Amino acid sequence: MDPVKVFLDESEIPRQWYNILADMPTPMSPPLHPGTGQPIGPDDLAPVFPMNLIEQEVSSERWIDIPEEVLEKYLIWRPTPLCRAVNFERFLDAPVQIYYKNEGVSPPGSHKPNTAIAQAYYNKAFGIKRLSTETGAGQWGSALSMACQMFGLECRVFMVKVSYEQKPYRRIMMMTWGANCIPSPSDKTEAGRKILAEDPECPGSLGIAISEAIEDTVTDENARYSLGSVLNHVLLHQTINGLEAQKQLEKIGVYPDIVVGCTGGGSNFAGLCLPFVRDKINGKDISIVAAEPTSCPSLTRGSFAYDFGDTIMTTPLLPMYTLGHEFVPAPIHAGGLRYHGMAPIMSHLVKEDIIEARAYDQIETFDAGVRWARTEGFISAPETNHAIAAVVQEANRAKEEGKEKVILFNWSGHGLVDLAAYDAFLSGKLTKYDLPDDEIQKSLKSIEGLPKP
Amino acid sequence: MYDHLDIRCPRLGGEVTFAYCQREGGDLPCPRILACWQPYFPVETYLRKKLTQTEWDRCFNRQPKDKVTTLIELIEAAKKRKSLQD
Repeated sequence: MDPVKVFLDESEIPRQWYNILADMPTPMSPPLHPGTGQPIGPDDLAPVFPMNLIEQEVSSERWIDIPEEVLEKYLIWRPTPLCRAVNFERFLDAPVQIYYKNEGVSPPGSHKPNTAIAQAYYNKAFGIKRLSTETGAGQWGSALSMACQMFGLECRVFMVKVSYEQKPYRRIMMMTWGANCIPSPSDKTEAGRKILAEDPECPGSLGIAISEAIEDTVTDENARYSLGSVLNHVLLHQTINGLEAQKQLEKIGVYPDIVVGCTGGGSNFAGLCLPFVRDKINGKDISIVAAEPTSCPSLTRGSFAYDFGDTIMTTPLLPMYTLGHEFVPAPIHAGGLRYHGMAPIMSHLVKEDIIEARAYDQIETFDAGVRWARTEGFISAPETNHAIAAVVQEANRAKEEGKEKVILFNWSGHGLVDLAAYDAFLSGKLTKYDLPDDEIQKSLKSIEGLPKP
Repeated sequence: MYDHLDIRCPRLGGEVTFAYCQREGGDLPCPRILACWQPYFPVETYLRKKLTQTEWDRCFNRQPKDKVTTLIELIEAAKKRKSLQD
């Protein structure tokens, strides 16, 4: 019987993170300051990040040592197992071997603590007493809460009120780890108070929560802000996962043909894939697939440009996937394309044709996730289901082509606190609403003449 | 008739109703409401009737900003609020 799990001994844990910026085939342009038009410098970010993390943000060193204090905490759950999805392979009945890194074994159940631990450590080392952040449904907030507790930092999490009220479990996790979880908008900041004065019932948004977390940081010299995705140093910390995977695959003499990760802000994907991106840059024949939701197609449908953000040119952009400021959006593309949550490193790698971005419909992803649960047992985080959908697609392709393939993907977290999403899918709430045209017209007619908001 | 419909919000990581998406941006819908909802019902047609052209442009035809630029702007805005308080 072939082994299902490949472990690394604790002594084999990677001791350096990998920095892709050292190996980019073409240089990335720096972000520009919206006021001056000059490249943003360390001092611009100093009010919200400690200088040791800012140094990592701009570093072009290929390898960066992982501090012993961070390794000690990583060892609580790392190295994570590399598993072979034998049952899912049988179900798919395709000529593929499927391996996955199980990042769901961390205490909060996701890959997020890989950077939360590192960020808490560096802030502590810089003399910071408190971290502030925002969170949607709480995956990042819970990881940072745990990390802060481990390094004796106070943690304040502004959680979007609509999630705070609907998602008690991650809020309770944060509180259990000693964090102060505050529904946003709140009366803790001027930004929150202003919004509440205008609309006491405001359900909040990520934009408001970020504003509150930043204000909370800027008004306290002992506090700093922490972000769980997008930034270079966040992606850097995540690479421990891919570096472990490379060692584990080497142990069994396997190298993947395809590496898959799901991508929102990019940290999940980058953690597994960037060490393999390095191999690809150095000549390896490997496909690297970024699976993202169709509902935010930030990679798949944009055009790459270096553009001013508006017609009066006050908001210069990083070179990213953009519409251009004169663009009038086509119906279905517009909302997603406006989402610039993707990490610049990821956008750059797509532009260079090193990563292939694919979008998957949420129903397709839940369908894949349920099939996974019914074969491998684990219930995946809904975001992880995007990667599983991509795996299914690759397996079917291999079957059609009659080619044997080895697929590696990042099982980035479990979905045990996201069961409401599965309930919505299984009860048919997440489905297409095929309404007859006359009913739509009737509905639209009913709002004619009403005052515009 | 659509307000109660559910969808998983890729930004929040949780389920929200269409009613929430319509006010995510305060007086405006979430900029991604079209991409998220169009597969389910003709949300563009619905919102074109509901929003003025100015509101439509403010919501959908404005260029988004990257994260670092947004952070810098938020830092400046927070500093300004603090100095006004002081």
